[in-house]
Amino acid sequence: MNEEQVVEVLATHAEKVIGRGENIQQINLTDEEHSRLAPLFQLAERLQQSMQPIQPSAAFVRSLGKELVDNAKRQITLTKRLRRAMLIGAAALGSLLSIASVVGAIVFVLARLRARTQARAIHTPTGQIGSAPA
Amino acid sequence: MHEESDSALIARVKDDPEAFGLLYERYADSIYNYIYYRTGNHHDAEDLTARTFYRALKHVSRYVDRGAPFSAWLYRIAHNLVANWHRDRSRRQIISLDELVMRTLKREEPAALAEEGEEQDLLLQAVRRLPPERQQLLILKFTEQMSNIEIAEVMGRTEGAIKSLYHRTLVALRKELSNEWNGREKITGGTSDE
Repeated sequence: MNEEQVVEVLATHAEKVIGRGENIQQINLTDEEHSRLAPLFQLAERLQQSMQPIQPSAAFVRSLGKELVDNAKRQITLTKRLRRAMLIGAAALGSLLSIASVVGAIVFVLARLRARTQARAIHTPTGQIGSAPA
Repeated sequence: MHEESDSALIARVKDDPEAFGLLYERYADSIYNYIYYRTGNHHDAEDLTARTFYRALKHVSRYVDRGAPFSAWLYRIAHNLVANWHRDRSRRQIISLDELVMRTLKREEPAALAEEGEEQDLLLQAVRRLPPERQQLLILKFTEQMSNIEIAEVMGRTEGAIKSLYHRTLVALRKELSNEWNGREKITGGTSDE
């Protein structure tokens, strides 16, 4: 019996031990093979007996469940509030930016107008303004 | 009534707190059992189960379904917490209340029962000395009574890999137990000679 076969036989045995071997073929072993694998079969059966499911205390399960649901509620409320705050924040920021851009545009236009007026004043011929006849 | 799938519940968790409650009810026993057999006492099993589900609740909105069952994700969280617990415990040796009670009770048990209990304790202690993935395999197999295909899904391996791991685990455990018994016989023999 090679290792692959041993692996298969042990896996089949384990499925049977836990009561899930309905659709699994019968394990056919010679006496020699059986005696070789017997200690591992016994160990699997002892594991099955020793590792039975443990029921946690009902009070613990109930109280933890309640705490978790309460916590989930708080988390959802907090997330919603945070989302709303972020939305309001983004809207406020957007408004500020648009106000700032309008103010910026006005300042820019005024600055340009002032610059143009100054430039015009500089380029105007000086003789035309208040020049006395010789 | 048709049971809602894990994926459907996870999708609802963001808006419906009861959805997480249902996921908890579905997996509380399995996670508790996993932690109990990894730690060996009820007190820590309760503590770590609570921490597992709190951590799951905190991160469930970021959970991405990659085809593995939701339980695999929960087992991973539990595994990390148990690993931290073992690390902390190795730093400061603590005897839990459960262990103290068990030790006291054992002294009061009739001999045959005590021997049987001792054998079971030795087996479970040997299981706890195995690498974590082997412990997980044995818990899923014998406590959760999962098939090899189900275990493969939870542990993210192939069915063949699970069968091989099971074989190696049994062989290692048998060796560990025989070493333990040989060691005990030597000690007992040494005492009787004196």
